[in-house]
Amino acid sequence: MTGRFPGFDVLGQAPHWDQVTRDLIEARVRTSPQAVPFFSAEERACARALLNDLTGQDRDAPVPVLEMVEARLAAGETDGWRYADMPEDGQAWRDTLGYLDADAQDRCGTSFAEAAEQDRHRLVQDVQERSGEDWHGLPAKHVWSLWTRYACTALYAHPDAWAEMGFPGPAYPRGYKNTGVDKLEPYEVRDADPSIDPVRKGD
Amino acid sequence: MRSRYREVRARNESAWLLPNDGRRTDHRLRQDMRRFADDDELDLVIVGCGAGGSVLLQRLARAGWRVAALDAGPFWDPDADWVSDEAGSHHLYWTEPRVIAGSDPVPLGSNNSGRGVGGSMVHYAGYTPRFHPSDFMTATLDGVGADWPVSYSELRPYYEAIEAELPVAGEHWPWGDPHGYPHRPHPVGGNGEIFLRGARKLGITAKVGPVAIPNGRFGNRPHCIYRGFCLQGCKVNAKASPLITHVPDALAHGAEVRPDAMVTRVAVDEHTGLATGVHYVRDGRERFQKARMVAVAGYSIETPRLLLNSASPRFPDGLCNEFDQVGRYLMVQGAPQTAGRFDAEVRMYKAPPPEVSTEEFYETDPARGAKRGFSVQTVSPLPITWAEHVSAQGHWGHALREYMSDYVHWSCLGALCEFLALPENRVTLAEEKDSHGLPVARFSYSQCDNDRALAKAAQGVMEDILRAAGADEVITIQRYAHLVGGARMAADERHGVVDRNCRSFAVPNLYITDGSVLPTQGSANPALTIMAVAARAADQLASGSAASA
Repeated sequence: MTGRFPGFDVLGQAPHWDQVTRDLIEARVRTSPQAVPFFSAEERACARALLNDLTGQDRDAPVPVLEMVEARLAAGETDGWRYADMPEDGQAWRDTLGYLDADAQDRCGTSFAEAAEQDRHRLVQDVQERSGEDWHGLPAKHVWSLWTRYACTALYAHPDAWAEMGFPGPAYPRGYKNTGVDKLEPYEVRDADPSIDPVRKGD
Repeated sequence: MRSRYREVRARNESAWLLPNDGRRTDHRLRQDMRRFADDDELDLVIVGCGAGGSVLLQRLARAGWRVAALDAGPFWDPDADWVSDEAGSHHLYWTEPRVIAGSDPVPLGSNNSGRGVGGSMVHYAGYTPRFHPSDFMTATLDGVGADWPVSYSELRPYYEAIEAELPVAGEHWPWGDPHGYPHRPHPVGGNGEIFLRGARKLGITAKVGPVAIPNGRFGNRPHCIYRGFCLQGCKVNAKASPLITHVPDALAHGAEVRPDAMVTRVAVDEHTGLATGVHYVRDGRERFQKARMVAVAGYSIETPRLLLNSASPRFPDGLCNEFDQVGRYLMVQGAPQTAGRFDAEVRMYKAPPPEVSTEEFYETDPARGAKRGFSVQTVSPLPITWAEHVSAQGHWGHALREYMSDYVHWSCLGALCEFLALPENRVTLAEEKDSHGLPVARFSYSQCDNDRALAKAAQGVMEDILRAAGADEVITIQRYAHLVGGARMAADERHGVVDRNCRSFAVPNLYITDGSVLPTQGSANPALTIMAVAARAADQLASGSAASA
């Protein structure tokens, strides 16, 4: 998967970014584990496994999605709304991680984090597929929305994730000179295999 | 070139007051800003310094009024406060707690709610279409929505004035009341090219614009650099927001902008029934600003919330709420977003998201089986918002990563469907309290059959356009866009909160000058209309015809 944009280097362009943006992105890349604790040890183990599963990362996740989500929750940095039938985000995270562990105990006899990958995926899939129903008394689709919003916001804030999609990231003050279909800047890299269409393949 | 702007510069010098040395903020102008004392009785205190509040502030400062605008958020400096990054722009949105409910709850925050001086126009895409004349009389024409107590022709001169002040770039506009724009259209990027190609194949008229980004230098505002981060706040000072289009001129004419000042209630004298000023919190201290008149411009969620939180013995159900109108008829546009996949590289993140639109489907078409209509525009989501679109298809984990790696091949269109104004779609107060101990807003929203029919029709048109342009696959996410209504203008107090001049029916010296007064929303992005309505209200106030309180 890393091979679609061979040689494309997002952080290599950092000298062209404005200082404020550059400081922010460089700090994000250095995110240190547990700088801002929010979860208990059990919750953190569960959250790490869930977030890595949702973002397709293995245990030594290159993108520190858990740390980014935990920092947000510790700072109370919500999206500015919650569903009336859900607790506020921090509590909703704690509650749903607990339910996920309970489901894992019921079905696999282990915590979610210790369950086999296949079992974890089945447990997660089950919440997604309940879309119109409740899950432990919460609307499953609102739980799914909470999990995926936080996970995607963290993952796609990271230069490693931009690199694999060909996106060069910050663009101030340079801007773009070559806009239009099939027009690239000198530092952009063309897709090595443009006919790989995951949608078509998925059908 | 200079003489071309003589007329607009003479009435609004904002663009010429900005520095031309590469910095984006006139720090000296802010340092030297007039500062009023709390017990200094202002002619007018304005709550909220966004699209509506800033225009009112600038107009009345020019008219010689002693006027200040209090804003709950910061006085932004684009150089220091804004970044060229999605996640890092979280602070641009109103993220205080709010509760969403109803059968089709509407997410707030980054979707539609700004924070700080400049308001939601700091993070809006930049589209500034006018409403159509039909939008002002949907009850008469279509038997839905409401007729405005103001006509299109009364608003037209204000549309023209604001279009010159932003200024707006675009092709000659053939829809609604046909009109031109002060600036020529911008060149389009990959996404705009795809839209124009698909529309041409289908015989659909599509036009470049209307976008509030000058095509060329305007005063000391530089040319757009097409970096695609319009929704993260324009670090270039190219995209118009009141922070650079109206606030500088207001300050130069003796107005005060008081940032980081959260207004908690409007004070009303129990004997006279007149507003006397506003209670607010700044630096953790409760304060009170005296004023002869008050204008609320906090937008469709916070304006109703402030009125409801301003209940008193004389107004036990909330200010201006004797007829249970406050918070009602709150509207959002249905905004299905459809993307198409091309083997070519579209790289939609290059060039501003607002590029091309069509209003060919704006009016009622009996063949659609629904009243009113929709517009279609380019939208160009950056990675985080694109992930929302992709994950809405049900993908997660490795599948999500793989779909996302295909980003450069996708083109994305968004519709704005005129969802109807319904009384039960409203803001009330929740049990939950914010950090000031005030009840937060609860926004309940449910769609009607007409809404769903329009969203479906719009999705079909977008799929057709993208396929005609050569897309081999299309995927759609159902979204909402914008907010208007919640304290609408009407002919009388039984049908709305304010009159045609934005004066509240209940309190003669209390005005509402923001998007919440709009009785209908059309299929147009609301910023320009909010500014035009505020400019008209300002004219009425300045000329004295409404200032007899």
